[in-house]
Amino acid sequence: MLLSRAVIAMSTRTNYAKIRDMSTDKIRNFSIIAHIDHGKSTLADRLLEFTKTISKRNMKEQVLDTMDLERERGITIKAQAIRMQYKGYELNLIDTPGHVDFSYEVSRSLAACEGTLLLVDATQGIEAQTLANANLAIASNLKIIPIINKIDLPGAEVQMVKEELMHTMGFEEEEIILASAKEGTGAEGILDAIIERIPAPKGTDDAPLQALIFDSHYDAYRGVIVYIRIVNGTLTKDDNILFLGTGCEFEALEIGYLKLGLVPQDKLSAGEVGYLIANVKNIADAHVGDTITTIKNGSKQALPGYKPIKPMVYCGFYPINGEDYERLKEAMEKLRLNDAALFFEPETSQALGFGFRCGFLGLLHLEIVQQRLTREFDLGLIATTPNVIYKINLNNKKELYIDNPTKFPDFSYIESIEEPFLKVSIFTPATYVGSIMTLATDKRGTYKNLEYLDQQRAIITYELPLSEVIIEFNDMLKSVSSGYASMDYEPIGYREADLVKLDILINQELVDALSFIVHRDRAHYYGKKYTERLVEEIPMQMFAIPIQAAIGGKVVARETVKARRKDVLAKCYGGDVSRKRKLLEKQKEGKKKMKRVGRVDVPQEAFLAVLRINK
Amino acid sequence: MTSRQQLTMKQLTINNNVISLYIHLPFCKKKCNYCDFVSYAGKEDLIDEYVESLCKEIKTAGPQDYQTIYFGGGTPTLLSPKHFDKVLKTLTHLHKTPPPLPEGEGKKENDIEISIETNPGTADKAKLKVLRELGINRLSIGAQSFNNQHLKTLGRIHSAEDIIRFYNDARSAGFENINLDLIFALPGQTLAEWQADIQTALKLKPEHLSVYNLQIEEGTPFHLKRSTLNLPQEDLELAMYEDTIESLTSAGFKHYEISNFSKPGFECKHNLFYWRNGNYLGVGAGAHSHVDGQRWANPNSIENYIHDPRPSPQDQSSPLIFRQETIFMGLRLLDGLEIEKFKGFEQEVADSIGDNLLTKDKDNYKLTRKGLYLANLVFERFV
Repeated sequence: MLLSRAVIAMSTRTNYAKIRDMSTDKIRNFSIIAHIDHGKSTLADRLLEFTKTISKRNMKEQVLDTMDLERERGITIKAQAIRMQYKGYELNLIDTPGHVDFSYEVSRSLAACEGTLLLVDATQGIEAQTLANANLAIASNLKIIPIINKIDLPGAEVQMVKEELMHTMGFEEEEIILASAKEGTGAEGILDAIIERIPAPKGTDDAPLQALIFDSHYDAYRGVIVYIRIVNGTLTKDDNILFLGTGCEFEALEIGYLKLGLVPQDKLSAGEVGYLIANVKNIADAHVGDTITTIKNGSKQALPGYKPIKPMVYCGFYPINGEDYERLKEAMEKLRLNDAALFFEPETSQALGFGFRCGFLGLLHLEIVQQRLTREFDLGLIATTPNVIYKINLNNKKELYIDNPTKFPDFSYIESIEEPFLKVSIFTPATYVGSIMTLATDKRGTYKNLEYLDQQRAIITYELPLSEVIIEFNDMLKSVSSGYASMDYEPIGYREADLVKLDILINQELVDALSFIVHRDRAHYYGKKYTERLVEEIPMQMFAIPIQAAIGGKVVARETVKARRKDVLAKCYGGDVSRKRKLLEKQKEGKKKMKRVGRVDVPQEAFLAVLRINK
Repeated sequence: MTSRQQLTMKQLTINNNVISLYIHLPFCKKKCNYCDFVSYAGKEDLIDEYVESLCKEIKTAGPQDYQTIYFGGGTPTLLSPKHFDKVLKTLTHLHKTPPPLPEGEGKKENDIEISIETNPGTADKAKLKVLRELGINRLSIGAQSFNNQHLKTLGRIHSAEDIIRFYNDARSAGFENINLDLIFALPGQTLAEWQADIQTALKLKPEHLSVYNLQIEEGTPFHLKRSTLNLPQEDLELAMYEDTIESLTSAGFKHYEISNFSKPGFECKHNLFYWRNGNYLGVGAGAHSHVDGQRWANPNSIENYIHDPRPSPQDQSSPLIFRQETIFMGLRLLDGLEIEKFKGFEQEVADSIGDNLLTKDKDNYKLTRKGLYLANLVFERFV
């Protein structure tokens, strides 16, 4: 859902519009901040309908037609920035991604707006992520319009959510708009508030061009479609342009705005939001946050806030069947066309053979990619335990950044190890504060702050190692809070920690892909839990299989997968030999889905066992 | 010739003329909780019509030199002697060699094996006697257990006492080749209970014992409530199986197939056709056939079989599949299989010998004791 945002099909390209003749004070650029399921897309639909940008009927047909159109014409666009007309104003709705892994992308979408609708579910209240994004909006000086949605539901606690909004974010009661996007109530009030409260964009048409890239999308037929906000200056069709961050030069082949489809224009002026097609082949060249200017008389000054994409979490992807290596490579290349944050390079594992080391923005990003490779490309895949990038300070004063535990130098060369830390904000009903603090402490967290929003809700702030957060933290947070707590995080740099490498030996063979880095104090605990978990994951085979956890050759935990002693079909199927054959084939097929390590068949799940230590 | 026959059945031609005949009789008073065979309760009113169809199917196959005949079920003894008479007469008329004769009227050593499956309580002494006189010379009794509690759990409609009475009736009706079917690893069963079953069976002195390990099959009542069944764990199952082998071999039985034990000379000749991957024609609903490497199955439903008995498309066949099946069926026999049958599987054989699963015995490869307990893992290597 997060990567495959609403897609609408492009309609005919005959609807060329007149060149815009609207001063910036008639433009409003806004986004919607909401937690997943709080009704963002339904509200967007209502606004599009109310402004007659897209009719109800039309929207449905468009969605239904998408597949066929895609096949026939191969053109799809994401509804990333839709333009609406309302009371003589031009309203641009800019979409924002909805997950903590994509907070940088969110910040750039927000930077393209002057205001945002803060949508809160009347039955759920504020969630950590909503608050985090609202804080991003505040930091970008955006005007925030608070909206309580789903007021029609039986469980709606309108007054409580109102107080929460007033208390946490300092809104006045009369600022808060009540709505039911599903029923369509509140749409008019919201549109009026957008015009009245959100300031018009600043910027002048005749200044040197500065256009912010806030999103991009790969289309198989048109190349990369770049979504931009003109901050200063004017972009004219056929301009020769320069991307300041990447240094790439292109020609603006087509520019315009989005309505039901792409609406080409001759120019885009300061304050406007639109798209650019410039024969960009590689999505990494249209980097979110980058500034576009003209080559002639352009701006030397990039817009603030540009950050190169830096993967936070790494893991190895290996085909179960070695022959699928090329297919895996092609599939990853296809995904990368549309996912500039996906990083990968070939790597080799002694246990798993040829595969790729892959970098992701976060664990969710990893899971999405893994699922798509499995489902869309039908690849049997082994994903190794995710890990972070460690900074190693060597005795000889050199520094190393390591994205794979197997690349750790011998510990005798290591002076110290640093690992990335996060500031984690956890939003929770007050009842669970105690158990969440216990969890955070268990995960090597440092307590920073506890703030009660009201009698019922609290925000707990901890500093935690990223490595602990990516391993089962979110699941455990949900489990200790009956699913109510939510979290948000931001990186706060590297810190020294006493870390060791925990190796796993299956049947006396070190399986490099199972090694992981763990704090010395937790090594025994993890060693024991990990080996216990592996015993459950590895099916019994004809011989007993010792599973050992070791640090630097010293075994710290040991378990055994018992030998299979009996597996014989003592039943009479009469003459139905085909049935016997099918049973045997199925049994054999099951083993093909496993990876052979030495003499042992190891199922895919075992390679992620460390993520499920407490399940 | 009816159109049905033109569509479905044709006279069989067999390369080496060696074939046996399986006749399926899918009628039961009640379906057992573990049973996934083709059998139905409450369809006895279709029996007459069904037997008509059987005879047609047998006739269509033409005269064949059947080496064995097996009436399986279901519960064949739900049919009356006239039905068996009709089927056997149909065969007699087609048969190239003289028909099987009742004892005393022909040369006993030339009699072909004609088996019937029965369930205790489904035939009295008089009926058993008539069946024997029709030429049926091997009786297989579905005893399953001598523990009334377990019989109830299995959904059997008879008691331990019924089995013993039925067995004695069969003896006095003249059956000199009797098999008992037994099942172990029943829900909640202890090793001692199983040992008691074996001892009771031995006291009856049958010529043959088929000992099956309970399998929980999809679509059965047991499968639905499998999580609550308290089934024995692998170690206990193995102990029961080991104990079976030990007890029966010391009582003079030969363990000749994974699940089968017999007094010398009383191996089931019909089932040997399956294990040796030989030819057999299966007639009746859901019956499977294997003729010269081709396999097919009749429709499972009685009604479909009667009205439109088109068999399923033939199962995939190839010389490779035939050789694979010859191996994994043949290795079920404890004496194993001739070495030349393993041609093309040298690597699998070497690996299996290395893993102590197979061993060479004169001109055969056969399962070791370890290989016997892990037979599925061995067979898997040859498919």
